[in-house]
Amino acid sequence: MISLSQTWMDGLLVMLMLTNLILLGASRLGHGIRLIAIQGALLGALPILGGQHGWTARMLFLAVITIGLKAVVFPWFLHRALRAGEARREDNPFVGHTASVLAGLVMLTVATCLSARLPTVGAGHSMLVMPVALFMILTGPFLITSRRKALSQILGYVVLENGMYAFGLVMLQDVPALVELGILLDAFVALFVMGAAVHQINREFDHMDADQLDSLKG
Amino acid sequence: MGQTLLPILVALPFAAAVVCLLLPTSQSVLQFVRLGVLGLVFPFALAICKVLSHGPLEAAGQWLRMDALSAYHLAVMMLVFVGGSCFSPVYFRKDIEEDHFSISRARRFGSLWFGALGAMTLVLSSNNLGILWVGVEASTLLTAFLICIHRTPASLEAMWKYLIICSVGVAFAFMGTLLAGASASGRLPATEALLWTHMMEIAPRLDPMLIKAGFIFLLVGYGTKAGLAPMHSWLPDAHSQAPAPVSALFSGFLLNSAFYCVLRYIPIVETALGHSGWSLRLLVFFGLLSILVSSAFMVMQKDLKRLLAYSTVEHIGIMAVGVGLGSAGAAASLFHLLNHSLGKTLAFLSAGRVGQLAGTNEIARLGGLLRGSFVWGVGLFWALLILSGVAPFAVFFSELQTLKAAADQGSWWTMGLFLFGVGVVFLAILRHAIHLAWAPSNRDVSANSSSWLEKIVVLCPLALLFMLGIWMPESLQRVIREAAAIIVMGGRQ
Repeated sequence: MISLSQTWMDGLLVMLMLTNLILLGASRLGHGIRLIAIQGALLGALPILGGQHGWTARMLFLAVITIGLKAVVFPWFLHRALRAGEARREDNPFVGHTASVLAGLVMLTVATCLSARLPTVGAGHSMLVMPVALFMILTGPFLITSRRKALSQILGYVVLENGMYAFGLVMLQDVPALVELGILLDAFVALFVMGAAVHQINREFDHMDADQLDSLKG
Repeated sequence: MGQTLLPILVALPFAAAVVCLLLPTSQSVLQFVRLGVLGLVFPFALAICKVLSHGPLEAAGQWLRMDALSAYHLAVMMLVFVGGSCFSPVYFRKDIEEDHFSISRARRFGSLWFGALGAMTLVLSSNNLGILWVGVEASTLLTAFLICIHRTPASLEAMWKYLIICSVGVAFAFMGTLLAGASASGRLPATEALLWTHMMEIAPRLDPMLIKAGFIFLLVGYGTKAGLAPMHSWLPDAHSQAPAPVSALFSGFLLNSAFYCVLRYIPIVETALGHSGWSLRLLVFFGLLSILVSSAFMVMQKDLKRLLAYSTVEHIGIMAVGVGLGSAGAAASLFHLLNHSLGKTLAFLSAGRVGQLAGTNEIARLGGLLRGSFVWGVGLFWALLILSGVAPFAVFFSELQTLKAAADQGSWWTMGLFLFGVGVVFLAILRHAIHLAWAPSNRDVSANSSSWLEKIVVLCPLALLFMLGIWMPESLQRVIREAAAIIVMGGRQ
């Protein structure tokens, strides 16, 4: 029984890792948003498969909320921001898409090496959780710094948030549900505020290239 | 008493934020902001007095807690909010006359203003380190749109930088929180793993590797929002583009609320590592770096509000160095927090008004302020001098105490670099201040008339800073000592 859930879990984590790598190479923003939705759904399912002591009502409740937010509400919201703007593609990022995927492989290696040095405190159901979580935590800031479009930077932030969520699963056994909900709510509001910001930037600049936001210096 | 008082304190500002959304005119929103904040002073003062006379208040199953350290920060926060709120109707009057401050904009300003107050109250009164983080994140998101109340390309740029850089920073702080929580796992029941008081109790048995890793993330994360160099890149943009009351709020307290979170972790980390001084050395390093980096930018600075923003980086650096120097330094740092918040609030409010009257923030094009707009010119000139550390004002004495703490510790390198940085800042500000006060200028900065309220907003902080420079009340000394003891020893004498 345990080994079956373990297999499922490893499969899930490998898929998470793949969404990350594909995201690094994706140039169409709509494609990126769909990947983020898939990542959110996989992430929400993670604690259900990882539970060692069977399912509890609280766990299911949190999983439903996580999937609802990360796989449905966030992508819907990002799609709306995308439709409002002109840009559909990340055409000319600071780091090219092929180079980004290669950088992703380097980050994956770094994450694997790092995770070997960190003790896993939470339920250690799979050896892969920690490397995948660290991989996402590294990918997020990389996307934010290497992309021009404001929307791509938001995608990077979501990946970072997802990484934190997975990291939390391994590092803590039982976070009080209220804290967990507060964190999810924060992620939601952060996205809401960023989406609204993109909307305003669109109206003011007729574009959402964050790299043209460079008049303030010194 | 604390059982009901603390939740009410957190809830009241949010209730006021909702009221702001229902008011009919811009004028009424601004009046409500002013009266509402003045009204909130009473419950806040009550809580602060209770803490100082009867010891820490606790509520909501120990999730909320207020001790001397948080009460002291709360008092400083209220000073900044009262100053900013009294000033807002003066500052936005011109915008209302020119129809640049519509009712939707006024409602947004009012509700976010109170929302920021509520979020920071949550930060200061939470005993749960997870809730502490939620409060910081909430205050980041709530204040983002305050920067672009006047929607210009530059203000949107500043808002976007603030939002992205601080969100990533705060996300790193979250990782630090998780690592700190993990360092207690197995030693505390899972539901209590993030309670500050419980962490303090078992601090000697925390996993040293995890708490060290956690503190690095926390320092970088919260330090980003506190404006410590080299994570300060968002700060000059946001401070210079925001409307004056908002800049005052950012510089006067928003940064300190993030720095407060770092302060909360110091006794835990130091106790866990057997008081080796590891985290204190890190603070001294980042503090000195902030002082030196900001001093370089201040010498070259051409924009008045950016000059004040870099001065904020410098002063946060001074506070970090102070805390890093042990108990005498921590007390000096807390005293400096009060002085800086008062001085910087005055400086940003005056600079905002002067900039509004002159139509520019460029230092080269401003001048002759002491003749032109008397009240605000005087306010700006003295605020600049105070921030540069001129005696006999209080900022000078808190910097002197920090220096003395460094000398007592025998850390000569710290002393030398500190003196060098502060000296450069002094000369840079003095040069700009003299230019602003006496240089000939063709810009007309004379206000038609200054109301009594404007005079009070300028005179009160000046008088307070002068008084604190020559005489410090016994009760204030006691509060600062108690708060410093919490930073150093977690509150145990």
